[in-house]
Amino acid sequence: MLEMERVCTSYGPVPMLRDVSLRVGEGEMVCLLGPNGAGKSTTFNAICGLLPADSGTIRIAGRDVKEAGPERLASLGVGFVPEGRRLFPTLTVRENLRLAFDAARNPGLDFEDRLAKMSALFPRIEERLGQGAGTMSGGEQAMVALARALIGDPRLVVMDEPSLGLSPRLISEYFQIVARIRDEGKAVLLIEQNAETALSIAERGYLLIRGQIAISGASETLLKDDTIRHLYL
Amino acid sequence: MDALLAQHLLNWLVLGSIYTLIALGFSLLFGVLDVIHFSHGDVSMAAPFVALAAIQAVAAWAVPLTGTGALLLAILISMAAIGLLGVLLDWLVIRRFRAAPAMMALVATVALGTVIRELIRTLYPQGSNPKPFPAIATDVIRLGDIVVPVFSLIVIAVSVLTVIALFALLNHTPVGVRIRAVAEDRAVARLMAIRPNRIFAVTFFIASAVGAVGAVFFVSHAGVVRFDYGVQLGLIGFSAAVIGGLGSMQGAILGSLLIAGIDMLVQIAVPDGASYRLVFIFLLVIGVLVLKPSGILGKPVFEKV
Ligand SMILES: Nc1ncnc2c1ncn2[C@@H]1O[C@H](COP(=O)(O)OP(=O)(O)O)[C@@H](O)[C@H]1O
Ligand SMILES: [Mg+2]
Repeated sequence: MLEMERVCTSYGPVPMLRDVSLRVGEGEMVCLLGPNGAGKSTTFNAICGLLPADSGTIRIAGRDVKEAGPERLASLGVGFVPEGRRLFPTLTVRENLRLAFDAARNPGLDFEDRLAKMSALFPRIEERLGQGAGTMSGGEQAMVALARALIGDPRLVVMDEPSLGLSPRLISEYFQIVARIRDEGKAVLLIEQNAETALSIAERGYLLIRGQIAISGASETLLKDDTIRHLYL
Repeated sequence: MDALLAQHLLNWLVLGSIYTLIALGFSLLFGVLDVIHFSHGDVSMAAPFVALAAIQAVAAWAVPLTGTGALLLAILISMAAIGLLGVLLDWLVIRRFRAAPAMMALVATVALGTVIRELIRTLYPQGSNPKPFPAIATDVIRLGDIVVPVFSLIVIAVSVLTVIALFALLNHTPVGVRIRAVAEDRAVARLMAIRPNRIFAVTFFIASAVGAVGAVFFVSHAGVVRFDYGVQLGLIGFSAAVIGGLGSMQGAILGSLLIAGIDMLVQIAVPDGASYRLVFIFLLVIGVLVLKPSGILGKPVFEKV
């Protein structure tokens, strides 16, 4: 579903990602771990085409991201949860969801149907549809941001630290939903600092340190890895 | 009510309406593109020249349209033409400064304003001279002692309808929702399959077409048009948008009414006040900015970043 091959990026003269390669197969859940400033969000921005790679290739559903451009990714079957949610604050919840639904251009889907599905997944959304997205609590915004990524019924969901700032109770609720998405057969790339939670629901993981993939492997292996234990556990 | 007071109130609403049509464009363009489009006044002021040319063309084809009808047709033509001019300028010039520091875009639009003025002056027959501009309507309605020009009613009604249409467009149509999405978060909007350049074109069309109406009303009110009227109109519209809070549509209206109020008071109370109305307007701008740098209804700048 997603293939990154030897991707390098830089901010001006400062190199950031160096030869980052990772892949997420059809229906697979993979996590990308790393400490603050490691380049996780930079990777996210490269995947969604907002930050052009200096070299290397990124393909989503077989299409080159650079050629497709950020505007076409939703219709290739990708949903995004950017860092900090980034809902449109003065747009209503419904308008936020509608934009994402239209972007997916998924034929045969009906907006009201999908909205009902999202309301079933996130019980609090329904009563908030007419409310400005910016007026909701952080937890509610996190749920709407996930609903926005899912409403077009994507095949791949890419999330950048989606649980950041949530209370422990909400975090566990949130990851239960993420696990459900995985069980539905969607591919997921979960970018997280919280290694333990991420590795407990992902099949595989990568560890990014200072712009480079330091370790990768199956979740059970990574949970026992000394570097990861040293960094996180 | 005192007839003189009523007359002043009516004039205030007329001026406020005209300024609003210009200020809305400044505010909309800033809100969506993060650019202060300093040539907006000059772009708008090209409208009366297009309208004059259109009136002559209509007359030349011997279409049996005269007076208000011909003028309204000419205004529609100039709205479309100026809307397209705005799109063209964005595409030719302003697009090149999307990633540049705000100061660069500002300098570019200031320069663009000069180019537009000089082009009008050179290309329009006897472009340096003031041109009489026909009144949109000359009839008056008498209510007791109060004389209500039909022109005033047209200006106020058209402005109110334009504002309602603009709000309805922004808040209740798919394209309006996309315009607001781009204004709020350009990068995420792209992930929602919205192409910012298209939204910018639509925004430029709307702002410039609305500005065109404002400029035509302005010169029809004055009875005369000159190639450099866009400077003054632009400064007033920009000041109104700044006072109200750049990016806020309600702010643009409020700022315009405030500036029109100052404008009226100065002309009534200060001897020869008309010659330094801009001084008082800028004093008001400075006063508001000292008290609230983001304007009365503007969001603090950090929220936008
Ligand atoms: N737009 C930018 N311009 C310059 N440097 C940036 C920019 N965005 C991020 N960086 C720098 O790149 C590094 C990695 O950032 P980021 O990818 O956001 O890390 P993470 O998401 O892993 O915390 C940080 O040192 C950050 O300061
Ligand atoms: Mg990050």
